[in-house]
Amino acid sequence: MTQQNDTKTVLKNLSEKKDTYIKYETDEVITWCHGCGNYNIQNALKRALTLEDFETQNILYCFDIGCNGNGSDKIGGYTFHGLHGRVISVASGASIANPHIKVIASGGDGGTMSEGINHLIHAVRNDYPVLFILHNNHNYGLTTGQASATTPKGFAMNGSPDGVLPDPMNPSEFVLNLNPSFVARSFSGDIKHMTKVLRRALNHKGFAFVEMLQVCPTYNKATPQSWYWDRIKYTSDLKNYKANDIEKAKKLTKDLEKNIYLGVLYEDPKKENFIEKLQNRKNLKTAPVDEVKHYSISKFFKEFE
Amino acid sequence: MERTTIKVAGESGMGLLSSGHIISRALKHLGFYMTVDREYPSLIKGGSSNVQIEFGIKQVRSLSTKVDIVVALDRHGLLEHISSIKRNGILIHGYERHNFIPELKKLAKKHGVRVFYLPARQIAKSLGGTSVMVNMVLLGFLWRVLGLDAKNLKQEVSRQFKSKPALLNIDLKCIDAGYKASDLNKISQLKLKKNKKVSKTILLDGTDSISLGAIHAGLRNYYMYPMSPASGILTYIAKTSHETGIMVKQAEDEITAVQMTIGSMHAGSRSMLATSGGGYDLMTESISLAGMTETPLVIIIGQRPGPATGLATWTCQSDLNLAIHSSHGDFPRAVIACSDQKSSFELIQHAFNIAETYQIPVIVLTEKEILEKYSTVEPFKQNTIPIKRGIVTKKSDLEKLTPKDRFAITKSGISKRWIPGTSKAYFYANGDEHNIDGKITEDAKSVSDMMEKRMRKETTLKNNLPDPIIHGVKKNADISFVGWGSSKTVMLDVIDELKEKSVKINYLHYDYVWPIKEKPAIKFFQNNKNIYLIENNFTGQFGKHIEAITGKKFKSKMLKYNGRSFHFDEVIAYIKKRIKSKR
Repeated sequence: MTQQNDTKTVLKNLSEKKDTYIKYETDEVITWCHGCGNYNIQNALKRALTLEDFETQNILYCFDIGCNGNGSDKIGGYTFHGLHGRVISVASGASIANPHIKVIASGGDGGTMSEGINHLIHAVRNDYPVLFILHNNHNYGLTTGQASATTPKGFAMNGSPDGVLPDPMNPSEFVLNLNPSFVARSFSGDIKHMTKVLRRALNHKGFAFVEMLQVCPTYNKATPQSWYWDRIKYTSDLKNYKANDIEKAKKLTKDLEKNIYLGVLYEDPKKENFIEKLQNRKNLKTAPVDEVKHYSISKFFKEFE
Repeated sequence: MERTTIKVAGESGMGLLSSGHIISRALKHLGFYMTVDREYPSLIKGGSSNVQIEFGIKQVRSLSTKVDIVVALDRHGLLEHISSIKRNGILIHGYERHNFIPELKKLAKKHGVRVFYLPARQIAKSLGGTSVMVNMVLLGFLWRVLGLDAKNLKQEVSRQFKSKPALLNIDLKCIDAGYKASDLNKISQLKLKKNKKVSKTILLDGTDSISLGAIHAGLRNYYMYPMSPASGILTYIAKTSHETGIMVKQAEDEITAVQMTIGSMHAGSRSMLATSGGGYDLMTESISLAGMTETPLVIIIGQRPGPATGLATWTCQSDLNLAIHSSHGDFPRAVIACSDQKSSFELIQHAFNIAETYQIPVIVLTEKEILEKYSTVEPFKQNTIPIKRGIVTKKSDLEKLTPKDRFAITKSGISKRWIPGTSKAYFYANGDEHNIDGKITEDAKSVSDMMEKRMRKETTLKNNLPDPIIHGVKKNADISFVGWGSSKTVMLDVIDELKEKSVKINYLHYDYVWPIKEKPAIKFFQNNKNIYLIENNFTGQFGKHIEAITGKKFKSKMLKYNGRSFHFDEVIAYIKKRIKSKR
């Protein structure tokens, strides 16, 4: 019942802000497969941005390489479409140089959990002011269905005809072990839930890690939509689940077989982000982007005299 | 020109660095010009190291193989450098058991070296000092040999150790003891020529110079993953960051460092990073991305000999082709090579301007020798190189922009760039091939048009770059050289020296090594007939480019690839041999 009311309020708010919402739409021809999870994830993001009053002018999307990256020209705002596995680093560099813009990065399970996993680890440690959306569809879709680090064990994939041998990684659980400031998980089949999670993530001042469990109807036969619906649970249905206990969050996140919990799993809204921690910039009100000019170096000559 | 050369040798950790600083600063305050460099192995304590100080009453920019005085702090320093001392030169040491080294006397006799022993360790200990203070005792003695006043030396010792006041007193006593230690009659003091006027100079290395240039040019985000010999830039920018407010981030790896730099540049800051050849190798995919997305990028490569780990603490010029040819696909770039302190300070400022104006990656080459060698130079002039960002900033212009302006096809190849967030016209920086608005295309004509547009920037840049400079006689030289990087410092010293002996010599020096301006090289080959290459690598990388663009061959190539820089006396000898054989 509350869910229904929620939906109505959201849709009412959205229709009131339709002029903003329209700006996020583009005329580009969409190239995702029929039934791809990316449609819903991107629409949820558009809704969340609208509802949180962001303007296209003040957003920088950074896209990794992968199916999700092919949606890079389907959403309004400044865009940077970089290299495979590197999106977190390029986004972090942009976000700390120019905090006037909201930096939203997205990458798949291939680029994030294999090629660029070191960037993920250190971005969490450093708490760069970036919203990062992990599109976890359990395979390399754009290169036609090879196994990724999150593909369930035993499933035969392109290039792994005998089935995937190692155990899969659990991205949210992995990040929760890195002392993060924000971890959430949602599902591409549930646009309302994704919108809710993204709205909260957009307002987080540090590194917000949002894992989207995503269906891939073309290459991922192992975990289709129905598989998820049989397992999905919401933290909001748990009695007294507060997202401020990281040990509880770790426990809850572990299960990928029976009960897969969605929601904001952990959040520390007060933790100082990368910029706030910098000792040498404590009293500065400007950002690097505002500060490019000639600097006098006369005071440094003394050492060389 | 007269030069005097001192070498202080010993193990790393014996106070060689501080000895070098004290000697050079004291000499500087007496009005001498100098260049100082150190040789050391890739470890923290132990191993054979040395600091060489070469000074005179005129500018000294390079070092010699032969020295006047060696101060040996230990047994190793005693034997290793004796053969590098000039005939009638001096070896000062404090090694008590020297009588047990029979070859010392033999070698001293063979090379005509005068050996002076001072029981420096006992002296230091008797004054309450430690065995590290051997260097203070020997410096005191050195000062006496140089015929200079100890007061000046003590001032610099006080400055060097002002943070350790308890030990300073003992240090000063050690200096005095060393100065008065020996019977003056036994030592024939050097009669140094002195400048009457002490002109205002600063004494610094290429690391400080390039860092100061970047700070002056408005660097706001600095990234790095440590790698010798470029790590000093991180040290300098970080240690001054409370004054400058620069955001400094030591990244988790080289790829992160370059990606964060690209991100910061894209977002509108001035950002850069430094590395060495191996670290740069890891970044090359990202450099191609900067080329494709037309994101300005400034990367410093501090060269050291490869391949692989190679010689981590030695020098070379062997990453030129890496800088020119790295990364997949065709895209325009600039490669700029520093040669000394002044050029490091200035060229890094130009590098930012070129990167932002042309929206290309700019690779700034420097060398271990340039980064760590310090010299007396004129204080740097500020505000002489204006900051050129090539971005749309005027409100009325920003309002008129459309996304199609960002990669618009232009004659110069340069399209408008603006900082994300400053205009409603958001644009798309795309690593995929794209249309003028940045959106993906695979259409044959659009792809060709965009490739041609980007590559036109290289032509535009080449036309606007300054010409290489001819040092020495303008034409008809008896002998000529072509080079880049640190070769300039040794060539300028050689030209000064040979001018006095009426040898007609010249040297064509390139600061901007890519794109290469052909015409000045072609003209140089027309006007001179006896042209050599000077380059610190095995294959003569730059020489091959020059031969390709001029269609001419060098008479011969003076190449070096043992980690050492070109020495003043070795180049003089090379030239004398060539000119004699010609006459």
